[in-house]
Amino acid sequence: MRRLLLTLAGLAVVLLVLPILGLLQRMPWSSLPDLLADDVTLDALRVSLVVSLIAAMFVLVLGTPLAWALGRTDLPGRRIVRALVVLPMVLPPVVGGTALLFALGRRGLVGQWLDRWFGLTLPFTLSGAIVAATFVALPFYVIAVEGALRTARRELDDLEGIASTLGAPPFTVLRRITLPRLLPAMGAGLALAWARALGEFGATITFAGNLPGRTQTLPLATFLALQSEPERALALSLVMLVVALAVLLPMRDRWLPGR
Amino acid sequence: MSALSLAGSTRVGDLALGVDLEVEPGETVAVLGPNGAGKTSLLRLFAGLLALDSGTLAIDGATVDDPGTGTFLPPHIRRVGWVPQDRLLFPHLTVAANVGFGPGTDSDRVTGLLDTLDLTGIADRRPDECSGGQAQRVALARALASDPVVLLLDEPSTALDVESRHLINGVLAADNAPATLLVTHDPVEAATLADRLVILEAGAVTQAGSPAEVRSRPRTRYAASLVGLNLLEATASGAMAVTTLGTRVVLAEAADGPVHLVVPPTAVALHRSAPDGSPRNVWQAGVTDLQPAFERIRVVLDGPLPVVAEVTPAAVEELGLRVGSEVWAAVKATEIVCHSI
Repeated sequence: MRRLLLTLAGLAVVLLVLPILGLLQRMPWSSLPDLLADDVTLDALRVSLVVSLIAAMFVLVLGTPLAWALGRTDLPGRRIVRALVVLPMVLPPVVGGTALLFALGRRGLVGQWLDRWFGLTLPFTLSGAIVAATFVALPFYVIAVEGALRTARRELDDLEGIASTLGAPPFTVLRRITLPRLLPAMGAGLALAWARALGEFGATITFAGNLPGRTQTLPLATFLALQSEPERALALSLVMLVVALAVLLPMRDRWLPGR
Repeated sequence: MSALSLAGSTRVGDLALGVDLEVEPGETVAVLGPNGAGKTSLLRLFAGLLALDSGTLAIDGATVDDPGTGTFLPPHIRRVGWVPQDRLLFPHLTVAANVGFGPGTDSDRVTGLLDTLDLTGIADRRPDECSGGQAQRVALARALASDPVVLLLDEPSTALDVESRHLINGVLAADNAPATLLVTHDPVEAATLADRLVILEAGAVTQAGSPAEVRSRPRTRYAASLVGLNLLEATASGAMAVTTLGTRVVLAEAADGPVHLVVPPTAVALHRSAPDGSPRNVWQAGVTDLQPAFERIRVVLDGPLPVVAEVTPAAVEELGLRVGSEVWAAVKATEIVCHSI
């Protein structure tokens, strides 16, 4: 029994690591500097960073209050909202992109008013790419922070109560007690959401298109390059691998316990 | 002007809490009651973490909660120091930062409290590195650091080491200690720390008075069983203790230094003549009072060990007890509980 489990576990590790090895083995190391330094790569990297970082900011600003409302209030209907919030996580991203197009497109449910009143067009723009990335990334953050809030609800109630009896007004309590206790969950949730935004493909290409220098992110550029210029696809993959590791390594204490 | 003045009621889950209570400046009042009587809710009411449904609550003469006029002052402007039962130290802050948490806390005061409660050596530790006694001292120092008008203590000496209890009792007994309200279900703690006892049962006060009053005339079964204990101050040396009246008491276990001897009234046996056999503490006493207490009679004795004995009405009849009677009293050494102070 033990041997069977270990064999399957080993197989899982091979499945997870082999593709990375394949990627590195075929990497065109000699032409790498040229491939990384040219406009297509740099544009895609720039678009990816702008889109994912601004999306992460929206996730933080919108997701924190939502997590609070779901995790620390007794508002009616929060169970339904919680289920809806998770939807983008389980929905195929292409479906998400299609939905965004019909909701926020020029003739969409809300999009037609955005266009008419504010002259704001989201589809096939950088803003659209940001909206798509926020749409897919937000649930990851909300789930992480809401979970932490719900687990620590009793403890937070108690600690905040004590802090207030010591003369701390509500904002001071938030700043010195609540936020420090939530910071680890917020950091982990934000890193996850950001990584998800960075890797976003389906919703972006559906809603924001694939315009080099404007909406073409690293994943889109990689997919395109694969058909004509495999070496470039490898180089772009390496860029994303490095970025992913840069996010994962600072969180290894959290996710790789028992070191 | 009272430090704390409450006449009001509120609901907490299924419990209707209705209490009239005054605490004078410098006074220590112990609220005793069984689990679920509403003791902690009462403290939360004073702290402002729970609101009255009706009535008024004033702290230091100023109304802080009065639903009739829509007055409700939030906790941070009430100047109430709260030491909760499970301490609730801020886990992400050091001991010193916990004590100095309150905005506007005077740093000299923090240093002084750390010193008085013997916390200076662990000032840089995190709460999870503190023992239970240390954590309790930190919680007390933190509450006192913001200079409260009223100090609220929830089961202050649960599971404390002797050293911590000694330090904490010292601070609470100091002349500059604020008015203190402590809730407990430990009658010894209540009797040693408090000037006055309030018995709280099922959300209502069933008796209030000095420890001696409540002890000699408990009004409820709970008061009789818990607070009605005899408490004697003594100095122990080995298996022998000498009371403040100079009476020698034999103990079952060795102890040393100042102690409280707790003698349950049911453990005091009364006899017409000097008994022989195992009880090793035997003395002659006069009956000064007879109090019916439910199915029992509490016999108040004078003599070298002034205690209350609880016996059946049949025994009172058989011994022919009345005020002024002379009897022999006996207590087995094993029935006496000895607490170091």
